Amino acid sequence: MPLIGEKDPEAFEVFYDRHGGVAYSLAYRIVGERAAAEDVTQEAFISLWRSGARFDSTRGSVRSWMLSIVRNRAIDQLRSKAGKAPKLAFDDDSILEQRPAEELTEEEAIRNETASEVRGALGTLPGDQSKVIELAYFGGFSHSEIARMLGVPLGTVKGRMRLGLEKIRGELAEGLA
Amino acid sequence: MSDEHRNRWSEDVAAYALGALEAQEARELEAHLEGCEHCRQELRWLSPAVQALSEGVEHQLPPKQVRDRVMTEVRADAKREAAAAAGETRRPSWLSRLGAGTYGWRPAAGLAAIALVVVALVGYEVGSGDSGSSGVGESTVVPQESGVVVTMTPKGEGGVIELANVEELPEDRVLEAWVQRDGEVEAVPALFVPDHEGKASTTIEDMDGVEVVMVTKEPKGGSETPTSAPIVNLEVG
Repeated sequence: MPLIGEKDPEAFEVFYDRHGGVAYSLAYRIVGERAAAEDVTQEAFISLWRSGARFDSTRGSVRSWMLSIVRNRAIDQLRSKAGKAPKLAFDDDSILEQRPAEELTEEEAIRNETASEVRGALGTLPGDQSKVIELAYFGGFSHSEIARMLGVPLGTVKGRMRLGLEKIRGELAEGLA
Repeated sequence: MSDEHRNRWSEDVAAYALGALEAQEARELEAHLEGCEHCRQELRWLSPAVQALSEGVEHQLPPKQVRDRVMTEVRADAKREAAAAAGETRRPSWLSRLGAGTYGWRPAAGLAAIALVVVALVGYEVGSGDSGSSGVGESTVVPQESGVVVTMTPKGEGGVIELANVEELPEDRVLEAWVQRDGEVEAVPALFVPDHEGKASTTIEDMDGVEVVMVTKEPKGGSETPTSAPIVNLEVG
C-alpha cells in the first residue's frame, strides 16, 4: 500500500490482482447481480486509489479497509435500488478509525483460512443468529429494521448479533490456536 | 463493568461492527468508544469475525473488463496528477514557448503549397508583469501579422484560443483551427465564427505534442485540409 499512497499505477495493479477477487465476490454477494457488482468493485477500487494517500497502516490492514469500502458501496447501491435513502455515511477515513492495528496478525490469518472454513463458521450458527447477521451485513438492514421484519424485540436482535459474532470469533480463535 | 454498561453498550458494539446501528446510535457509540477501553477491546475482538463474513462469501471471478476499467482510470488519474504537479512549477511546455520571445514561422507539413509570410511573434502575459514561469491557467497573448490578436489559455490537457480583431467573414465562410503534430496537420473539430466585435474562440482539447496551431478561413462546413493562408499561426512545440 505505501506505493499506492505514492500513486504508483503498477503497484495498484498488483493490489487489484491480489484483492479484486474477494472484492467482486463480496459485492456480488450483496447486490446479487453481475453488472451491479462490477460497478461497485470498480467504484470501490477507484475510491481506494484516490484516497490511498490517506491510508494509515497503523490502523489496520488495507484488505479490511478495502472490504469495508466495497461492503458500504454495495449496500448503498442495494438501498438506492430499493428506493431507500442510504443509511451509511461513506467516509472511507472513518472506516480506518474502526480498525486498530492489533487486528493485523489475525486478519492475515483469516485470509489464510479457506472460504469454506469461514462459511462453515457462519453455517454452524443457530438459524436465528445467522439470519440477523446476514440481514445486517449482507442486506444492509439496521437492527431496528430487522426487529420489525422478524417481529422480535430490538434487544433480541442485538443479542443474537452479539452471540453470533462471538461464536464466529471464537471459532476463528480456535482455528488460530 | 456494570450491568447498566453491559446492557447499554456491549450489544451495541456488535451491531456497530456489523454496520447495523442507526446513524445517531453509531455516533453515540463512537463518542462512548473514545473514553471506554473495555468497549474498544470488545470491538477489536469482534472485528475479525466481521471480516470473516466478507472473506467467506462464495468466490466469484471478476470479469477482466472490471480490471481494465479500473486501471484505465487509475492511469489517467496518474497522468493528470503528474501533469498538474508539473504545472505547479512551470507552464505547459507549449504555452511557455508562446510567451518566451520571438518566433519564426515554420511551414507545417501538408501546408507547403500554401504561400505564407514568415512572421515574428512577440508574446506577453495578461495581467502580470512577470515574464518568468507561471502556472496553469494563465493566459498568453500573441499578436499576429494578420492583425488578429490571439489569447491562449491552458485548460485541462488542452487550451482555449480566443481571437480578437478578426475581420467580418462572408456568410459562406467560417473559421477553422488546425494543429500540427509530428508534421501532420489535423483539423480541430469545432468550426467557429467571429462575433460583431471581431471576437471568436475555440478549444483544443489536447495540446500534447502540438507543434503548430493555426486558424484559417474556410468554406462553410469546414475543410479537410487548410485552403487559405492562416490568420493565426503559432509555433508552440
